[in-house]
Amino acid sequence: MNLEHFLKSDGPSWLEVKGSDADIVMSTRIRLARNLVGYRFPLSFDEQEAKQIDQVVTQALLNRKNGDHFFSHFTIKEMPALQRQVLVEKHLISPLLAKKEKSASVVISNDESISVMVNEEDHLRIQCLSPGFQLYETYELANQLDRYLEKHIPYAFEESFGYLTSCPTNVGTGLRASVMVHLPALTMSKQMKAIIQTLTRLGMVVRGIYGEGSENLGNIYQISNQITLGKSEEEILNDLQNVVEQIIQNERNARQLIMQQAPIALEDRIQRSLGTLRYARIMTSEEAASCLSNVRLGIDLDIIKDVPLSILNECMILIQQGFVQQYAGTTLQATERDLFRAKLLREKLNAKTKNSVEKGEEKYDV
Amino acid sequence: MICEHCKTNQATVTVTQIINGQKSERHYCEVCAAQFHPFNVDFQNEEQFPLAQLVSNWFGLQIWKSETNEKQQSNTQTTTSCPGCGFTFRQFLNEGKLGCPKCYETFSSKLPQVLEKIQSGTKHNGKVPGSSKNNHLLLKKQIETTREQLQLAIVEERFEDAAKLRDEIKEMERKLEVGGVDTP
Ligand SMILES: [Zn+2]
Ligand SMILES: [Zn+2]
Repeated sequence: MNLEHFLKSDGPSWLEVKGSDADIVMSTRIRLARNLVGYRFPLSFDEQEAKQIDQVVTQALLNRKNGDHFFSHFTIKEMPALQRQVLVEKHLISPLLAKKEKSASVVISNDESISVMVNEEDHLRIQCLSPGFQLYETYELANQLDRYLEKHIPYAFEESFGYLTSCPTNVGTGLRASVMVHLPALTMSKQMKAIIQTLTRLGMVVRGIYGEGSENLGNIYQISNQITLGKSEEEILNDLQNVVEQIIQNERNARQLIMQQAPIALEDRIQRSLGTLRYARIMTSEEAASCLSNVRLGIDLDIIKDVPLSILNECMILIQQGFVQQYAGTTLQATERDLFRAKLLREKLNAKTKNSVEKGEEKYDV
Repeated sequence: MICEHCKTNQATVTVTQIINGQKSERHYCEVCAAQFHPFNVDFQNEEQFPLAQLVSNWFGLQIWKSETNEKQQSNTQTTTSCPGCGFTFRQFLNEGKLGCPKCYETFSSKLPQVLEKIQSGTKHNGKVPGSSKNNHLLLKKQIETTREQLQLAIVEERFEDAAKLRDEIKEMERKLEVGGVDTP
């Protein structure tokens, strides 16, 4: 599979709309950190070690015959910066991997549900992404690949500390389970601060999906376990499952309350956002994220009926700067990006309406 | 109850830790808990947890700040450096990361003190390579949800459904016992 396959703007499989909680939980991610015995961690290893690890791991993955997944392998150093950025925005690689100067690579399954980063902070980071709220299913996917790899790769493991990792925050299970949730009503009703404090005490982490300094851009939060040592995988997943179920319930209650107390104000906000997305000429990523969040809520509450949720999910990924530049076909200044972002959103959101409305609407140019 | 750290504010946060199977509870006020709890520090920075910062808050200030201790430290520094990568414990505290898998063995006497602060224990309790432990979480979860459905079916007197669900549970339990759905 060539790189173009993974760079195209179509939503990856984990952005599909799936599951009973798809109105709130957008996707589930499982990450397992593993290292090879006998090599220094990426923080301190030399190029020769890096190369050997890269070879051992990628060989093992590409030779896998019995799995349902076909893997493609990409070397980070050989990838242009913009393409690396797009893979970051698709959550297929981390910002840290994108910046690596020693031998590092990523092995991605065709449907993008599995990506294995080699020589990121640890020798291996197995990552699995699924649409909706599927902690156990996604863990099973990662676990099966892990069990295959452990037969071919001698893992650094010790009875008392578990899987040995570069950072002691990952040691033990090496498992980080994350759920991406859309919480507009809890955010609007200013309950998130208290919720984040509670989650922190329960050993969970909450952060934004668009990276640093944007914790709740678009009202999307990622909730993950922080603890990896002293608890089993099962306990970690059960704890997260329970916490997220409670948050879903809280968000539903908050939505009902807002609907009862301020239906007109809510509908006004939602419809204005859709109007902005369909007609604006300049759109910053912040404004786009906030409008998309409102429209998503409008769809969930059945206030907006002519926009599919899948398009919204896709737009949330597409508004990031790497994608906007890929769409424009060139690198852009910030102000130019805002023009192209607006154009991209107009095309995405008006094209879909055109199909549902009998006669085509007028054409839109930049 | 008064906060164990500042000894002035009312303690409202209980931090439970399990160390070597021993459960211990600590009580802090909101302010101290927020400052101490390592999970807050992690908020913005994806999985880049500034352990060094935590260590200087929790650990470092008491141990490394005074000059006498500084000297003691430089002595231990020369005595214990990791044979796998040359890291010293001091280097680990500065970086927040270890140099190689062998470091865990090298610093096995000092690491638990750090792990206590950031983890829920100091002993691994999960999956082991090559064993089937924790290998069927999905199956276990499915059994659990099917049991709930069975309960509901019985309450609602849908006995045909209940019989079907009971057989499904039996089948899944059998799979779990023989090693389950894991593919080679
Ligand atoms: Zn205090
Ligand atoms: Zn070492």
